[in-house]
Amino acid sequence: MARTGERRRPGRSQRPAWAALVLGLLLILLPAALLARPVAAATTVRVLMPSPFVDATASLVADFNRDHPQLQVEVARGPLDTEAMSDLAIGGLLLGDTPYDLLMMDVSWTAKYAAAGWLMPLEGLLGDNALEAMVPGAREGNAFGGHLWRMPLNGDTGLLYWRTDLMAAPPGNIVELEAVARQLQAEGKVRWGYVWQGRPYVGLSCVMLEMIHAFGGQWWQPGSGRAGGQTQLDSAGAIAAADWLVHLVRTGVSPEAVADFAENEALQLFAAGDAAFLRNWPYAWREIERGGGPVVGKVGVTTVVSAPGHSSGGTLGTWGLSLLAGSPHPREAAEVIRWLTGPETQKALVLDQGYAPTWASLYEDPELKLKHPLLAVQRQALEQGPEVRPLTPLYAQLSDLLQRQVNGLLTTDGTAAGAMGKAQTQSAVLIESAAGEHTASGPLLKQAVSKSSHASGRLQAQRRQGVA
Amino acid sequence: MNPSLVNVLLMAPALVLLAIVFAWPLLDSAWLSTQASSVLTGLAPLANDGANWQRLLGDARFWQDAASTLRFAGVSVGLELGLGLAMALVLHRPGRGRGWLRALALLPWALPTTVLALGWRWIYNDPYGPLNAILKAFGMAPYGFLTTPSSTWLFTVIADVWKTTPFVALLLLAGLQSIPAELEESLVLEGASPGQILRRLTLPLLRPWISLALLFRLAQALGVFDLVQVLSRGGPAGSTESLALYAYHNAMRFLDFGYSATLVIATFLLLVLLTACGWLLLRRRPLEISR
Repeated sequence: MARTGERRRPGRSQRPAWAALVLGLLLILLPAALLARPVAAATTVRVLMPSPFVDATASLVADFNRDHPQLQVEVARGPLDTEAMSDLAIGGLLLGDTPYDLLMMDVSWTAKYAAAGWLMPLEGLLGDNALEAMVPGAREGNAFGGHLWRMPLNGDTGLLYWRTDLMAAPPGNIVELEAVARQLQAEGKVRWGYVWQGRPYVGLSCVMLEMIHAFGGQWWQPGSGRAGGQTQLDSAGAIAAADWLVHLVRTGVSPEAVADFAENEALQLFAAGDAAFLRNWPYAWREIERGGGPVVGKVGVTTVVSAPGHSSGGTLGTWGLSLLAGSPHPREAAEVIRWLTGPETQKALVLDQGYAPTWASLYEDPELKLKHPLLAVQRQALEQGPEVRPLTPLYAQLSDLLQRQVNGLLTTDGTAAGAMGKAQTQSAVLIESAAGEHTASGPLLKQAVSKSSHASGRLQAQRRQGVA
Repeated sequence: MNPSLVNVLLMAPALVLLAIVFAWPLLDSAWLSTQASSVLTGLAPLANDGANWQRLLGDARFWQDAASTLRFAGVSVGLELGLGLAMALVLHRPGRGRGWLRALALLPWALPTTVLALGWRWIYNDPYGPLNAILKAFGMAPYGFLTTPSSTWLFTVIADVWKTTPFVALLLLAGLQSIPAELEESLVLEGASPGQILRRLTLPLLRPWISLALLFRLAQALGVFDLVQVLSRGGPAGSTESLALYAYHNAMRFLDFGYSATLVIATFLLLVLLTACGWLLLRRRPLEISR
């Protein structure tokens, strides 16, 4: 009894002590465990992309998520159409509360989104020379106002498609293009000579940008002011560009229906063997080859052609990733940008989807060279300096104005000088109306600016040197 | 207390409310239409010497949208008045199940426009929608109802007429019920035909109700937004874009709030002008009951 009593006594006195110890430990450890859980849990980076990119990257994203349990990528499917995609993104951004960390952006949005303060600069996260290993042309359109806002995922430019069964070599300039087209039409080998995009939408602006440069003009003259420059649509080069396009339609080299053609309509006509030349993007190559139509194996691709004595690149039409201001974890999001736009991902996308890469090293990759014959032309197009759309927050409106004037010219019987003169006046009024300041060529402050057309050629040359 | 003072006091709450939700935004927009307020100015207003209005005058897209909106409003409101009157006359007739019929007829009006536009979008779907299923049953090829500018316009009008005719019918039905039955009976006794009764009695007495319906519908149709936005997004190629949609795009897509306000005020002026014309046209002649 006594022994048990002795045994119990210390037991009785110790049990509360043990209990207190366990309880205390629990009290310390439990909150610690609870606090530690979010740290251990994965960070989710949300990306909004246009529908086709969601499909293209689906398996890559799944692989990434499997390999990175701590950093998960969640992709939201946006609409197919570029403008609808922009509307969706802006809707959330204007409310100041967007659920996404990253946004897949068209090259023509950079200036507007940056000026609106919706993006976070990337140079601090990805380094000052994040773009250095890219092909020169692919580096353009990503920076604005001294900051890097976007990492490009693909390096698309406008290209010229031609029929290898109808001619020995592609035309060297637009005069040759027109002559070859006319002859093939006269011989009855093709119904139409040249098809392109003439519908009043973004595609027509891309065609016009190429043509204006092809005639030695320029759409946008970078300069001072809130808009960052002014338009030069009434210059000789710009008028000649519109004049050539309308001449193609009026003389039957291009069908009248080209005024309602977007990329796919033009592509269908060419793929059916009804046209000698087509202006389109790199994706058209795979569409033609996959389509199994009458021209499979008879299609060549080259860079866009200019008027004799001038040189123009294809319009740059890349998509890239931007980091939205207000993302709660910019560092992780930048990591996702680095991976999703990186060489390994791009290589997979070239192989699976036929995207044009932006990294110079991928253009040297033997496997890609073998499997993707378009790469050589694409590299040339990017290196010779693609045309970048006016780098101003007002681009969307300026583009809208120009499309309407040029499309109106194609469908009515006005003159190119009249239409481009109108486009120029309307652009100047638009800049004054949106910027709240006078422009040198604006009608509110009438001034002759004939000297600027001389300066434009020089600036253009400087810009090209800067690129190369 | 002075009776007119009582009137003013009784109206005051309503007037204050109207001033807050209607007059103030309108005046604010009118002021903003004289300013640059865009992504370039950081959305801060800056006077721009009437450049917004000068831009409006030369803006091909504005004129195209104005024409398209006017055409849409004119045709759809015209159809709605005709059909609404017919519907009101039917619903006015005494008969079994009239209550049910009235409730049923009002259903389209009770639906939210967005829901209804989504419904029509599906009905018009090419090639899987119900309309194309019917065409297919008759051995015809599927038709792209929303692919060409003219057909998109036509089928947008049809969707609008379907939804808002009941509203017109309801207004006119109320008017019909305010016409004393004895007047019609006496005309019947004098041997008037139904056509004569309609022309000589019903229509003249309905005139205030018709002008009311016209006023409401014109105002709504000229500001049409949700139906077009959901059904066609103003497409194809901007051919069915309404003025309200263009103003929306300027604010939301182009981040140009100054010009967007200019478009809103221009639409408002157009609306005031048109409804004033319609009102005067219908109010001009004094009511007369022909014998």
